[in-house]
Amino acid sequence: MKIIHCPVIGPRPLTEFTVVGVSAPEPEDLGGMSPGAWVFNRDSVPMERTEWWYHGATQLWFKVRRHTGADRIVGVELARANKNG
Amino acid sequence: MSLRLLKYAFIEDYAEPRYFNTPDSLGDSYDVVIIGAGGHGLACAYYLARDHGIHNVAVLEKGYIGGGNTGRNTTIIRSNYLTPEGVRFYDASLSLFRDLSAELEINLFYSERGHYTLAHSDATLRTARWRAEVNKHLGVDSELVGEEHIARACPELRQDCGGNHPILGALYHAPGAVARHDAVAWGYGRKASQAGVEIHQKTEVVGIETQGGRVSGVVTNRGTIHTSTVLSAVAGHTPGVLKMLGLSSPIEIYPLQACVTEPIKPWLDTIIVSGSLHLYISQSSRGEMVMGASLDPMELHSRRSTFEFVSSLCDQVLDLFPFLSEVKINRQWAGMVDMTPDFAPIMGTTPVAGFFLDAGWGTWGFKATPISGKTMANTIATGQNDELITSFNLSRFEDFQLVGEKGAAAVGH
Ligand SMILES: Cc1cc2nc3c(=O)[nH]c(=O)nc-3n(C[C@H](O)[C@H](O)[C@H](O)COP(=O)(O)OP(=O)(O)OC[C@H]3O[C@@H](n4cnc5c(N)ncnc54)[C@H](O)[C@@H]3O)c2cc1C
Repeated sequence: MKIIHCPVIGPRPLTEFTVVGVSAPEPEDLGGMSPGAWVFNRDSVPMERTEWWYHGATQLWFKVRRHTGADRIVGVELARANKNG
Repeated sequence: MSLRLLKYAFIEDYAEPRYFNTPDSLGDSYDVVIIGAGGHGLACAYYLARDHGIHNVAVLEKGYIGGGNTGRNTTIIRSNYLTPEGVRFYDASLSLFRDLSAELEINLFYSERGHYTLAHSDATLRTARWRAEVNKHLGVDSELVGEEHIARACPELRQDCGGNHPILGALYHAPGAVARHDAVAWGYGRKASQAGVEIHQKTEVVGIETQGGRVSGVVTNRGTIHTSTVLSAVAGHTPGVLKMLGLSSPIEIYPLQACVTEPIKPWLDTIIVSGSLHLYISQSSRGEMVMGASLDPMELHSRRSTFEFVSSLCDQVLDLFPFLSEVKINRQWAGMVDMTPDFAPIMGTTPVAGFFLDAGWGTWGFKATPISGKTMANTIATGQNDELITSFNLSRFEDFQLVGEKGAAAVGH
């Protein structure tokens, strides 16, 4: 079983998480890209990227940095680390 | 030992003809270059030659014939889809499959088993009824059935599901079938090869050249080829090939895993699918239980297998068939599948003239092998999208004209 080492909740099995998707800033404007392309198109080639992961049991959100070709997790941080609570 | 084999002990030359020609060198130019020698690429090559007299074709394969998802799938063939365009398309594929063994002169072990999509909730039952109505309207044998029917077809199935999500009914599709997946690729490859098509294995496409917005050539690890027409039929590698041309698509790559048990006596002659339990199961002609589940939980460009997959699949299978707890898993594997947001393929012309796409086959493309080959061949020969595939064009996303086939997906995603 793949174990994810998280801040606050410690080591957790992969099956406890929902991988929600890529975490990327919204662009100010689409710069000529059509709305359809912005909504649907993806860049699904092997790369290192940051994703939203949700841990159901504790209702915590994490930002997980992962390589999508090597199946390797590079870093995990709490998504709202600097908010109170 | 068969007499046929014994004969070879006394003959000097090994007389069995090779399945495929193995051309020594790449040509300088071809009328059509097909990227990917999976079932789809080889079928297209075959129909280009058979239906359109286009023989000067090269199929380029970076690995070996059928080594992609074609040789990794669980071979379920059905046409009980949800949208009229989907039902028409897949049903045309079933018609081709029925005569394909004879046509390709290879035994595909095409075996109609009857396909049950179990409903464990009112919502699934509702989708099943909707599918049955659409199917019947289009002449596809499909109906909603209850407990007694299921019990007759599969007495071993524990319909109370261990008390957890009891079964309320099922969508029954009598023509649902399985076939030998490798043979589909070999059969199309051999016939295409006999018609003059060149199949180059261990030949990877690394770039596509254009001139004035038109395809002009293909760059491979073995040199550059001139061509005005390229078909990409690379399933799990589609985003990388699109990138060579600066094109984008909604395709995302996920691993899809499957496994087989040790062979046991024949007991299951139907195909059982449960979307709620995320599983499907059939018995191969060798006696193995062939089983699969839904996609892996995250995008990944790799074919590694995981323990999470087998353990959660077995957990669910045992709710339906507790007696299988004694049976061992023999092998597990994964393929990289090209998922689309509406669970429909992406086929036909693209914004780059001379570049055609056959992709977005996700977890459902094996059954489409014959019809996608045929319609893509027609599209390439005429330069116009075949009428069966017009709704599947890449442009549908820009236009917000999605197909909405998700409700007919075999397992929850
Ligand atoms: C576990 C699993 C179960 C499945 N179950 C079913 C099922 O029950 N029913 C069903 O209908 N479908 C099923 N599918 C889906 C089905 O297998 C695929 O949709 C279908 O086989 C795709 O065929 P293809 O010919 O398009 O692609 P592939 O068979 O994947 O062929 C693509 C080929 O392109 C080659 N290639 C890639 N990039 C390059 C390059 N740059 N240069 C040269 N060659 C390249 C690859 O090596 C590969 O051989 C399943 C898939 C998996 C993984």
